[in-house]
This record gives sequence, structure tokens and C-alpha cells, in this order.
Amino acid sequence: MPDRRTLLRGAGAAGLALNFGGWLATPREAWAAGYEPSVLTDQEFKLTVALGEALVPGAAAAGIAPYLDQQLGAARSETLLMIQYLGVEAPYLDFYRAGLAAVEGLAQQSQGRPFADLSADRQTATLGSFAGAQPEGWEGPPSPFFYFVFRSDATDVVYGTPEGFSDLGTPYSAHIVPPDEPWRSGTQQ
Amino acid sequence: MTSPDVIVVGSGASGSLLAAKLAESGRKVLILEAGPDRGEQAMISSTLYARRWKWNGAPVVEEGKNPIGHGFNAGLGVGGAASHHYAVWPRMHASDFSVRAQHGVGLDWPIDYDDLRPYYDQVQHDCGIAGDEKQEKWRPPGAPYPMPGVPMFSQGRVLKRGFDALGMTTAPLPLAVTTTNYNDRDACIWDGWCDAGCPIGALANPQTVYLPRAKAAGAELRVRAEVTRVLMDSQGRRATGVEYVDADGATKTVSAGLVILAAFAVQNVRLLLHSTSDRHPQGLGNAGDALGRYIMCHSAALVYGLFEENTTHYLGAFGGQLVCQDSYPKQTHAEAGAFGSYQWMIAQAVKPNDLLGIAPTRPDLFGKPLADFMQRAAKGFGSMTGVIEDLPVADNRITLHADRKDANGVPLARAVHTCHPKTNALWQAALEEGKRIFQAADATEVWTGPQGMMHIMGGTVMGADPESSVTDSYGRVHGLRNLYVAGPGLFPTSAGVNPTFTVKALAARTAARLIDRQGTENAAP
Repeated sequence: MPDRRTLLRGAGAAGLALNFGGWLATPREAWAAGYEPSVLTDQEFKLTVALGEALVPGAAAAGIAPYLDQQLGAARSETLLMIQYLGVEAPYLDFYRAGLAAVEGLAQQSQGRPFADLSADRQTATLGSFAGAQPEGWEGPPSPFFYFVFRSDATDVVYGTPEGFSDLGTPYSAHIVPPDEPWRSGTQQ
Repeated sequence: MTSPDVIVVGSGASGSLLAAKLAESGRKVLILEAGPDRGEQAMISSTLYARRWKWNGAPVVEEGKNPIGHGFNAGLGVGGAASHHYAVWPRMHASDFSVRAQHGVGLDWPIDYDDLRPYYDQVQHDCGIAGDEKQEKWRPPGAPYPMPGVPMFSQGRVLKRGFDALGMTTAPLPLAVTTTNYNDRDACIWDGWCDAGCPIGALANPQTVYLPRAKAAGAELRVRAEVTRVLMDSQGRRATGVEYVDADGATKTVSAGLVILAAFAVQNVRLLLHSTSDRHPQGLGNAGDALGRYIMCHSAALVYGLFEENTTHYLGAFGGQLVCQDSYPKQTHAEAGAFGSYQWMIAQAVKPNDLLGIAPTRPDLFGKPLADFMQRAAKGFGSMTGVIEDLPVADNRITLHADRKDANGVPLARAVHTCHPKTNALWQAALEEGKRIFQAADATEVWTGPQGMMHIMGGTVMGADPESSVTDSYGRVHGLRNLYVAGPGLFPTSAGVNPTFTVKALAARTAARLIDRQGTENAAP
């Protein structure tokens, strides 16, 4: 059993550290550094950025796209995605890929343009058309469920980190920070 | 350890206790755990990393109107589901043990509360429970709590106002969490990371209490050892050991005089169904076609609100600060077509994200309205959860999937679960009551959540009749001398309280029986 005070000394710098092709970083850092996708296609990556930001403001800068790209390539036992306990079987890429394609298809069908190229108002209208009930012509996972899952991912990167807690004025109060963060070793409190 | 006396399959709530007590009685105990040993350092304070404590083994194919939520409720690895449980440990009531006899619905237990009472007391002493038996006017008789009740923070005070206004009773929520130093465990600091594991040892999960005792008494914990079959003698009357697949994918066997299946409720059923032979063509303990039946889940009655005050919702325990069992009598809401008991877990510590966090409570919001809501909720959010009794239904059942198998060649479990209409009515009645309570507490906004499923029980129900149950009251599989089942799968009814304390009390009773009859497992039943 680790000593409690030893653990508490390490608290305060908790983050969301992931391995991006051998480069340890937070999704926010990966996004800022110009991360390029390795699992999602360029089009899916671009849509992920736009969809995440439309759902949860701040998700793009928080690294929703690098996060999903990295997680969808991770082993099942290592995944952090909420979908793992929502009754969907791994691997999860098929679910996301089908959902993203359905969103794009809906945007093209209803607005005549890719979702990422729509104005904010039109993105909002598109989201509203599939969030609560599945629209006609939707081809993918049940649209309210895909909306819920993707929105949860976006809230994870925006609000589920120490930065997110801080933005809400909520103390993080960690016992144990994520391990193996060598680039943070000089800044841990 | 080459020749254990006892094999315990699973290292969770029941397996850890049985291993500890049997090892301390002098038996050589081998625990086979299907998952890894992540260690306390993996109990990372993060809603995202906490998900790694959930189930990630073979998929369970879920069907019915109310799927059981196996992925969320189960666990894989040392400590099992109890490694991420919230340690809400109320006792079942005497009325829970004789539902059919008293009301003509559901099932009866082959024991009553008085049979279990000394084991509740024993486990309470071992693990430490914080509570206030005087304020808990509904509490069945038992030893006083060894620690004072959990502290009340702002959210608790705000929500209590609603209960008080309606003339309802609240008391500190009984939690297996330290409020003082207890058996060399420091007191909790109420930071609300319970389901990420509890690396400081305040919460009585298996890694904190019984697994260290088991190891100290000589038990071996073998991880990544996935049991695939119970092995039987040629007459089919005695278990001789188990077959398992190790971390390298090699199939191995190990023999013992006593085998205890203490895996998750669904996986115990799967193992018994898969252990077929000429003598047991339908699986072990399935002579009466009862195996896998009566799977139950508590419906979660989720009530949320916003308040003018700063509720400091991040403080406290994940389970809550207060309890109310005013609706425990089974017929309390009969006029609404409901039957059964429920309790409120009040003022739960919550985080901004994750399934039980703040953001998912308003799935209708996105964009700026969501961001605005999150800022408001960060100051004044309050929540409580009703634990709604699920009537046992024979057709709610675990079976083996006809076509699909896992990597070891074991058929996947298929779980069908649809709540009884009276259970649905009870859930609805609880939500209506919950909204009234929040309004009486001066909430500025009140809303409710969907009918989530929590706690998985039944499937290997105990009973006196081998035709309608799977085990006797000690968990011994009917007709077999030395094969036992432990865990919530034994429950014939679900009650309206969290199951873990009763799981442990039942396991302690079984351990006492086995210790008392040490070495006689191979005698005629």
C-alpha cells in the first residue's frame, strides 16, 4: 500500500498523457504540435475536430482529434474511451468510422457541404437534427447513441483533465497522477 | 503452490474474503484471477484512467429492454468489480428474505436475516463501516458501527433540506470508508475518486482488507489465469479442480479438494454452463434448468438539480453522504402499481465528465448552452440515486451464445434482462418522489436521468429445492460435494440496497461453515 502522503505529494500535475507514436504528450500538446493522424483518415480527422468543437466548445484545442486517433489505435486493455462500457464491442474504429460517415452524409444531404465547412449555425442545425432522434437516411450507429458517445469524448478532453476542472473552479485533488510522464518531471509539484 | 487444498476463482468481494479466512484456518489456497494485477499505483485519479478497472474480457451479448450493463458493472483484474465499487454497505432487511412468502411474488431465501446477522457484524468489524445506527431508524439489528458517520458537506446540507421539508428521515450513508484511523488505515480525505480505486486504503476494497490477509496467510494469487472449465470426477459428483488458460495462452489444470467459483455473477454462470459432461449435459447445478435464471439489476433512479448555493459537489464519497430508506416497505408505492423497496443515496461526489458525471446528465445540450450549463453546475449541482429493487423474473437469464466463442474457445455469455412492470413502476414512483424532494430543497432546476442498470445479481440463486435453485444457502452447488459458488449471483431477491455487504456476509458464513467442516468436503452431502 503506497503511503498516502507520498501519493499526495505527487498531486497537482495530473494530466492525460498518451503515447503518440513514441512521443508522450497530452492531446492538447499533440494538437498544438500539429499532430497528424495515423488511424483516422485526413477527412475523418478534420471532421472530428469540427464535430468535437461544435459539441463542446474548446474540444479542438483540447485535442479531441489526436485523442480519438490515438485511442482508436490503442489495445483494448489500454483504452480510456467511455465506449468500452457502453455495450459496444471492440475494436471501436468501425463504430466511429460509421458514425462520422453518417454525420458527413447528413451534412451533405441537408446542407450540401461537408460538416467541417458549414457555418456555426448550420453545424448547430445539423447536430440538432440527429442528436435526439435518428433522421431519415442516416446510415450508421443509432444517431442519438453516436451523438452521446462522441459528445462524451469531447467532454472528456475538455472537462476531464486538471485544466478542465480548473476552468470550472473545481479542485482536482488527485491521489495519483498519471505515471510515466518524463517530460513533466521538472514541473511536478 | 502445486497442490492447493482450495481453489478460489476470482479475487473480488467474495473471493478475497473466502481466500483470507480459509488460508488463515490453515488451508493452502490458490486464487485464480482472470485479469491482471495492476497494483495500487494504477489507481490513478482520473475519470478516464479509472475506466481500466472495468470489464475488458470476453464480450457479453446483452439483450432485452433493460440490458444489464455488464461492461460498466463488472471488473477484471485483482479486486474484481469491488476494486471500483463505491463501498455503500447497508444491510438487507428481514423482509428481503421472504418476499414470496409474504407477498406471493419473487422468491424466498433459504435463510433469514438472523442467519446472516452475525456475519454482517463480523465483516463490519473486519472492514470498518462508518455510520450512525441511531439515526438509521430503518436499520436491522446488529452491532453498532465502528466508526462515526461520514461528514456532511454543502451538497448534503442542501438536499437534506428537501427531505426535512417533506418530513422524511435521513442518516449518514453507511460506507465502508474510514472516517477515523481504522486498523492502521488512515481516514478518508473525501476527494471523490472512489471508483478509480482507493490507493490510500480508506475504502475497504479487496486490495485493502482481505487480499493482504490472504497473502499473509500463505494464499497464492495467480493472475491472468482465466478459468475455462470445472473438472469433475468420473461419477460427476465431486469437483477435482479446474482448467485454465495462463498469460501465455497455455491450457493448464490444477487440482484441489475444494473449488469455489467467486467470479463475477455472469461469469460464474458461464463457467457452470460450459462445464458439461455425460453426467451433467446441461452444465453443473442445472438439473432443474434453474442455472442462469433470475438475473437482476437495480434500476438507478437518477435525480439532478441546480441550487443557488455552492454545493461543493466534488467533496465526499462517490456513493453519497446521506441515506433515506423511508420507502423500504415493499408496498409503499402499491397505489402506483409498484412493488419493492428502494433507498436514496444522497449527495454524491461527482466529477464534470464521465457516465456518472455532470455533463452526461444533460445530453440534450451541446455547444454554448452546454458550456454555460457546465459553469452553472460547477457551482450548484446536486444529485441523488435511488436503488430500486428488481423483481426476479425466470426469463431474465444468462445462457451460452449459440455461435460465438472467446479466444479460449468458451462460448460467450448471452444476457437477457427486461425489468418486471412493477419494478418499472417503482422506478417511476421514485423519480416522482425525488423531484418533489429537490423542489422542496429549493432547487432552481430539477431533472431526471434514464433507467440505468446497476449491480448484477442472481443467475446462481440459492434455495432449498434443487429443481428451482442452483445452490444451497452456503453456495454449495446442489448435488455436488465440493463445488461452491460465491457472490451476488446467489441472491434470490435483489432488495433495495447495494449488494456488496451482503455478498461479503454470505461469503463469511460460507467460510465459517467450511472451516467448521474442514477436510470433509469429500464426504457424502
